[in-house]
Amino acid sequence: MTDDIKICVRNLYKIFGDDPQGALEKVRGGMSKADLQAETGHVLGLNNINVDMPAGKTTVIMGLSGSGKSTLIRHLNRLIDPTSGEVIMNGENILDYNERRLREMRKHEMSMVFQKFALLPHRTVLENAGISWEIEGKTRKKYAAEATKWLDRVGLQGQGDQYPAQLSGGMQQRVGIARALTSNSDVMLMDEAFSALDPLIRTDMQDLLIELQAELHKTVIFITHDLDEALKLADHLVILKDGFIVQQGEPQHILLNPNDPYIEAFVSDINRARVLRVRSVMEKTDVPPSDVAGEVDHDDTLESIIAVSGGDTTNNYRVMREGRQVGVLHMRDLVRALVPRHPGEAAE
Amino acid sequence: MATYDNFFDTLGLRGWCGDDQGGGLSSMADLMGQAGGDTDTTLWDMPFPSLDALHDSCDAIPQSRDLTQGLEQGFLSVKDSLKVVVDPLTQPLSWALENALWIMQAVPWFIMIPLLMVITYAVGRSLKLVGLVALVFGFLAFIDFYDHTMQTLAIIFVCAFICVLLGVPIGIAMSRSDRVQRTMIPILDMLQTLPPFVYLIPLIFLFSVTEPKLYGIAIILYAIVPVVRLTDLGIRLVDQDVIEAADAFGMTNRQKLYKVQIPLALPNIMAGVNQTIMMSLAMVVIASLVSAPGLGVLVLRGIRSLELGVGLLSGLGIVLLAIILDRVTKAALARINASQK
Repeated sequence: MTDDIKICVRNLYKIFGDDPQGALEKVRGGMSKADLQAETGHVLGLNNINVDMPAGKTTVIMGLSGSGKSTLIRHLNRLIDPTSGEVIMNGENILDYNERRLREMRKHEMSMVFQKFALLPHRTVLENAGISWEIEGKTRKKYAAEATKWLDRVGLQGQGDQYPAQLSGGMQQRVGIARALTSNSDVMLMDEAFSALDPLIRTDMQDLLIELQAELHKTVIFITHDLDEALKLADHLVILKDGFIVQQGEPQHILLNPNDPYIEAFVSDINRARVLRVRSVMEKTDVPPSDVAGEVDHDDTLESIIAVSGGDTTNNYRVMREGRQVGVLHMRDLVRALVPRHPGEAAE
Repeated sequence: MATYDNFFDTLGLRGWCGDDQGGGLSSMADLMGQAGGDTDTTLWDMPFPSLDALHDSCDAIPQSRDLTQGLEQGFLSVKDSLKVVVDPLTQPLSWALENALWIMQAVPWFIMIPLLMVITYAVGRSLKLVGLVALVFGFLAFIDFYDHTMQTLAIIFVCAFICVLLGVPIGIAMSRSDRVQRTMIPILDMLQTLPPFVYLIPLIFLFSVTEPKLYGIAIILYAIVPVVRLTDLGIRLVDQDVIEAADAFGMTNRQKLYKVQIPLALPNIMAGVNQTIMMSLAMVVIASLVSAPGLGVLVLRGIRSLELGVGLLSGLGIVLLAIILDRVTKAALARINASQK
């Protein structure tokens, strides 16, 4: 990809225990997580993490519990310090920051949304949203307009004087998002932000985030254990397992070309027709096909194409992007893409 | 001949003990032994080898009386230097108590009782509570306990205020450092379990009985424990997620303390203040033994001269005072809880 890289994680290790440096040598020497724990009692949290997080895009870090995803996101704003490695943002290694500079970064350059909302229960919604301004020493009068703007934007019109406990979970998380947006930081860290919500409300919140992203182009780092959510939101998907990265890249690509049995098992339960897009399965060509059944957009889901075709697998479609043909979709390829393939026979 | 003579003889320590066998009769036990003529003690009667029992056989070993006397001498010898440090430090306490006592009694009742009612309303926002306060003080004044009640109240106000002033920072320090917590907990346990009479004794040696700080210190030592413990507990119980959020948005430690930890720990801190006030009220009665004025003096009079009526009425007065102090602080607590829900 040609995108600018906003945050760049290099060779990051995190080991929990009494002598992390000693354990680090062993891990670098090739010791596995289980062996390390059995022999030295140290827990390997993160093992040689390298990720480039594109600016203005959503990077989703996905993994099951214990995979180290929450540990990883806390390294980005240094709520946890690594045992070894670098986190580079805007060309600066944030691990070199002193405490003062670190606080500056947390106030202005990075904001965070939490799984359990973590709002201040003794402050009103407005005061919660404006917390980053208040930390700066600004009065309520100064931040009220900005905080209200973002509260309105996330759908909390006229709720500013309520207390968090008076709101439902979904609304509380909207306050959490408004709080992150009010700080006007470029980077938004979201730690399982929607995991504690009901499925329907979760879908609403995902749509809200997509909508906000289309408008604001923040660099979002999103943690989740839910693959559907990850595929819906991600521009760049990172899959973690036991503290190391199993696979990362464009989500459609990962779905079609899983390089690990772990990921295959993961993606086998996915409704592929809903997630996969025409552009991922089409044949790239600008030569118009001879027998065209119609035109489709490159970003349509396969599900919608199946509906259009009425189940006829012999059709071919012209794939259009901004009025120009970018490829041809053969229904045969589409149907084949719906069945998970083994890595050995993966195309491309 | 005492029980452990053989013990010292066989060990060859007789010379060290420095007495010749069968010398002067020094103890009652010896006399009894002589009188009875029976020096053979059976195994069944063998006394525990305590200081006194061993002393009977060997003069070089001190008696237990010497131990208590040694403690006393030790305390008396450091007393003067201790006084040089403690006296000026605690002088403001004397000053505060004297002034509070003076003000509470100098203000006439027709200002004082309404003032207390206003304070009650400001704290508790409940007219029922204000009525209760008026009723209690009216009753106590009616039976001519007004002055004593005001004295007790003045002492409690000053001591509880100082308890909070010292106790909350100590509690905060404990919550921030496990080492401070580990050192403080045994001290707090000791303060809480030591019979209150016991720490009056060294204080009497340190200060003259006419000084108010004598009972002031006793009350504060006794009553400070709950506010310290509950401040520590309250801050440690603050939701870690909220603390993490405060960190993630760049709060300094000071901002975290004042904007997050203390406000969220306030219900627990207030519960501690409530307990502290209750305990200082309990101690006020005991402190009247060392010249603390107030209702305790009346209780003491009831005991000393067996005036049953005075004792019962003043006891009732203390109970009534306890009830309104408890209700008012609990009402404040309930308001804080409500605002956080």
